[in-house]
Amino acid sequence: MVFLIQQTMLYAVPLMIVALAGIFAERSGVINLALEGIMILGAFTGVLFVRIMQENQVFVQEQGQILMVLAMIVAAVFGALFSLLLSFSAINLKADQTIGGTALNMLSPAIVLFLINLIAQQNVLGMAKGDAAGWFMIKPSTFGLEKNHDFGFLGNLLINKVYLTTYICIAIFVILSIILYKTKFGLRLRSCGENPQASDSLGINVYKMRYAGVTISGALAGIGGFTYALTTANCASTGEVAGYGFLALAVMIFGNWKPITVAFGGILFGLFKCIAATYSSLDINGDGVYMLAELGISPYVYRLLPYLITLIVLAFTSKSSRVPKAEGIPYDKSKR
Amino acid sequence: MYKIDPNTGKQKFYTTDAAKSVLSAVISILIGMVVGTLIIVIVGLTRDGITTKGMFDGIKLVFFGLFSTGRDAGDLTFGFNPVNMGNMLFRGTPLIMTGLSVAVAFRTGLFNIGAPGQYLMGTTATLYIALMLPTETIPAWIVWILAFLGGMIAGALWGCIPGILKAFLNINEVITCIMTNWIAANLVTWFFDVRDSLKNSQEGGKVGYILPTSSNGVETFKLGLDKLFPGSQVNGGIIIAILIAVLIYIIMTKTTFGYQLKACGSNRNAAKYAGINDKMNIIYSMAIAGALSAAGASLYYLSGHTEFFWSTYQMLPSEGFNGIPVALLASNHPIGAVFTGCFMSMLNIAGMQLKTLTAYNEYITDIIIASIVYLSAFAMIIKMFINNRQKKKETLKQEGGNK
Amino acid sequence: MAEYVIEMNHIRKEFPGIVANDDITLKLKKGEIHALLGENGAGKSTLMSVLFGLYQPEKGTILKNGEEVKINNPNDATALGIGMVHQHFKLIDVFTVLDNIILGAETTKLGFLQKKEARKRVLELSEKYGLKIDVDAKVEDITVGMQQRVEILKMLYRENEILIFDEPTAVLTPQEIEELMEIMRGFAKEGKSILFITHKLNEIMAVSDRVTVLHKGKYIGTVNTKDVTKQELSTMMVGRPVQLEINKAEAKPKDVVLSVHGLTVPSKVHKNDAVKNVSFDVRKGEIVCIAGIDGNGQTELIHGLTGLEKTTGGTITLCGQDISNASIRLRSQTGMSHIPEDRHKHGLVLDYTLEQNLVLQRFREKRFQNHGFIKFDEVRKYADELIKQYDVRSGQGPVTVARSMSGGNQQKAIIARELDRDADLIVAVQPTRGLDVGAIEYIHGQLIAERDRDKAILLVSLEMEEVMGLSDRILVMYEGEIVGKLDPNKTDAQELGLYMSGAKRNQNGGEVNV
Repeated sequence: MVFLIQQTMLYAVPLMIVALAGIFAERSGVINLALEGIMILGAFTGVLFVRIMQENQVFVQEQGQILMVLAMIVAAVFGALFSLLLSFSAINLKADQTIGGTALNMLSPAIVLFLINLIAQQNVLGMAKGDAAGWFMIKPSTFGLEKNHDFGFLGNLLINKVYLTTYICIAIFVILSIILYKTKFGLRLRSCGENPQASDSLGINVYKMRYAGVTISGALAGIGGFTYALTTANCASTGEVAGYGFLALAVMIFGNWKPITVAFGGILFGLFKCIAATYSSLDINGDGVYMLAELGISPYVYRLLPYLITLIVLAFTSKSSRVPKAEGIPYDKSKR
Repeated sequence: MYKIDPNTGKQKFYTTDAAKSVLSAVISILIGMVVGTLIIVIVGLTRDGITTKGMFDGIKLVFFGLFSTGRDAGDLTFGFNPVNMGNMLFRGTPLIMTGLSVAVAFRTGLFNIGAPGQYLMGTTATLYIALMLPTETIPAWIVWILAFLGGMIAGALWGCIPGILKAFLNINEVITCIMTNWIAANLVTWFFDVRDSLKNSQEGGKVGYILPTSSNGVETFKLGLDKLFPGSQVNGGIIIAILIAVLIYIIMTKTTFGYQLKACGSNRNAAKYAGINDKMNIIYSMAIAGALSAAGASLYYLSGHTEFFWSTYQMLPSEGFNGIPVALLASNHPIGAVFTGCFMSMLNIAGMQLKTLTAYNEYITDIIIASIVYLSAFAMIIKMFINNRQKKKETLKQEGGNK
Repeated sequence: MAEYVIEMNHIRKEFPGIVANDDITLKLKKGEIHALLGENGAGKSTLMSVLFGLYQPEKGTILKNGEEVKINNPNDATALGIGMVHQHFKLIDVFTVLDNIILGAETTKLGFLQKKEARKRVLELSEKYGLKIDVDAKVEDITVGMQQRVEILKMLYRENEILIFDEPTAVLTPQEIEELMEIMRGFAKEGKSILFITHKLNEIMAVSDRVTVLHKGKYIGTVNTKDVTKQELSTMMVGRPVQLEINKAEAKPKDVVLSVHGLTVPSKVHKNDAVKNVSFDVRKGEIVCIAGIDGNGQTELIHGLTGLEKTTGGTITLCGQDISNASIRLRSQTGMSHIPEDRHKHGLVLDYTLEQNLVLQRFREKRFQNHGFIKFDEVRKYADELIKQYDVRSGQGPVTVARSMSGGNQQKAIIARELDRDADLIVAVQPTRGLDVGAIEYIHGQLIAERDRDKAILLVSLEMEEVMGLSDRILVMYEGEIVGKLDPNKTDAQELGLYMSGAKRNQNGGEVNV
């Protein structure tokens, strides 16, 4: 059970944070289809940073947590920078946001694979030494305890064999949600996604707000990408995140562009993703029986399940969804 | 704005919309290539092991990779290379088809990013039919036709899914297309996973491939193209692709069906108001788009000598995504897609040359392609810019005339 | 102290292709109500947008209390005490009333919104000026009248002294207009200065002290209201004498063409039905007008009638055929033509050429196609005919892209297309919205001519003059129901207004025909 919950959170957290990235962009009025591409870039830059630091022996294994947090910041910065390409085309040039986002989704894996092949002469870029669990996972030895130390149920659940990224992401999620709803900045940002003409008439700079929304979105997606690579791909970058960015967009849609429902959606999908990835070693009751594996269903069924369920859920929730009204429409000052 | 030639009564070419489209495509391509060149230079300057000569070789190949004939005494040589030429046409065939697929959907106001999934479904149906129908009893050319049609039907049905969801529930087709892509990737892998008889186990060292259709005697006619480009894989598929492009062009511009599709794409509300069944048209459009993508896959695999890597659940075929730049560069014009499709495959070939002949790798061409997509997102802006300049000149002239 | 609070001198503003303001001067005294009169497209809104900092003029100066000022954006305008109620309200539908009022002028502590004080102030202002609002309601749930009060409160909250009202009465009932005028007089008495943009002469006569008239982007003059008559003002506005009344003969209604019984249409936004159990008939040779304030179910009624939206109850009979569940195409073939409310959303495919738009419904007819192939020659011939007959003007004739045509000519093209189909029933929804007087006269003339050719016409209008002048019978809609069936000859604007605001209703509701 502990294993299932922890694994689910590993998959849910990147989804939540990237869906929140979508919320910030879309509520400011820009469709950010590039989430997938930004995640890929975030994963790559984060992993590359870890690798370079390791190669130059800046950090030792005991300082893994610091290295990890720094890598998250690097991923956020590069994600934000990369998203400027989208802002520029969508806001300044008023180009089609779908095409712009798609371009970034193509550009990011191309650049990443190009560089990975140059650096590693193969299609995978991993850590220079050790593995993600050894360096970054919080476990008894992190606290100077022996390997099999029992923290009790809650302790095992919360601080044994977990990654700090999970808690950092949850904290960021909560803080940004509050900013979105309780601050002047949040109020103004949301107004730009609904009726930018009104915002403009009240002296709010729509372009600036949209840039802010997309840039925050890029930073979050970068963090999400690195978190994903760290926790589910053993801190390696392969130039893809298996449609995770799009799943996050779907989570955002049926979460109705609201953080709380998006969080629930993220956890639900995290569960499906978790089952797809770990069904063969999933022991729900702890009785040594791998129930799902013994059902004899093809692994591909579990793998396609998250995508299929997304389709079905979208079909059922589409009627009640509440899209930000000005989303996807370039704001043109001269057309009031 | 528009200039009418006083003699012919027609618009002068350089002011027509087509000319502007071509111009903006060329601008996009050039900028994309410059981006590629820049990356080669930057990487060349910062990485050890790449000489200045190696750098220039890389740049040469980006622009003239199609004409590369290898190396002679350490220097790159260039000239007419029939293998590259023929393969450009051969690999261009599926790109033309997926480009047409994206273009048709675009005209109906839909962004078909589901081409990879449709392509996979087409691949599977085509291969299954071509390999399972016994050519001892059924003539091979009939099997070929059945496999081709079967692929198209599979693709059309798969394309319908996002179409239906868009038409009846108004769900963004981009999300549903992406989801159907991944579902298709898993379904296809599952399908072949349990069909060992279709897997290629005869040749050693080749794991995870499906048998080529030629193993059942099914392959596309060559039409003498193999004589024209000896050593390449080119076949009649490219001719079929061109014919289909012409057919699509006629449908879109000359028929009431095309009129309806475009009306829905341009203003769905107005189309509905005028009694056009907007929902059905959206579904038709996605079905056609799916069929076209799948036809691209059929033409590629029915060549008889291409093998499909079946364990594809973690990756989607790039032919599908590259239909997007093909369509965008062609401004969604079906005939234009023939040229831009070949251009894309030329870039791919240049990428291969880069990989084999220099220290760079083939992903540089993906960067160029992505840059082109990014630029074509504001192809409209470039066109508008050209328009405005012409308009300004025009009004200046008029005002001058009035005074 | 300068004589004028605001002086706009020799303002020129150009847009690609047109000069919206050409050398316009406007001087506003403190404490006056100054009307700005002009037709649609005369440049009133542009001028006010310049004053409000939304546009930068190419030429001209703006003076506040005699000193030249530069207004680069709405923030500058607010700092100078200038506030504006826009014609299309600048409100965020999903925000609460309070959030809308504070947006852009928020009080914060460490970046966090301090709504308590804001709320107190808003309630005080609302009390003081008698502007009733519900601060916690979402804007999408409140009436248009209340939305306007929110807009006014936005100005008061920012302590503006110069208040611009852009066509504020278009969405109000006569009674609400009366109230608004009272509020405006109150503001003026307090020393606030008011600019009142309108094209309605009655309102100018009733409330303004002075009037500035614009025509086609040019300045015509400024006069004291008490020195002029309505006729003189209208001549200044249009540039020629105009008939203020619509002339038409007595209607001679014949057989019933359209019969609607118990029609119910669900709302897209709310849970309630937008149209509730509505019944009425329209006969040959009469113009039946559906009057009401915007948003009382007229749009949904028409959508249900024409097939754009699904109905959930009731029957529609057209020319004796039940078309309750028929497709749009079948309705149109049975004999319905439809001049839609929104010409850009429904009326035209803007990227299509004029000729393609003119056959939008008819391209399937044998005349225009052969085995699915369009007969381009026939389409061109037909388009040329219509363009000539209805005097549709455009840059390149039939091959002009619809988007590049003027609003008036776009509307003419739609009218040409819909009238030429020779349908028994013509549904015309706000056919003259946003057009200049010449085009309005033309369209009114066409509709009356069609009536006299024994067509049945169902008109939806929000303009009081149009309702009273054009219709032979009036049906008033209020909250999705028909609450009154009136004879325009036996009623007046005041009574109509009472029905429109729901204050009065016919005893026998929706069942009996007048």
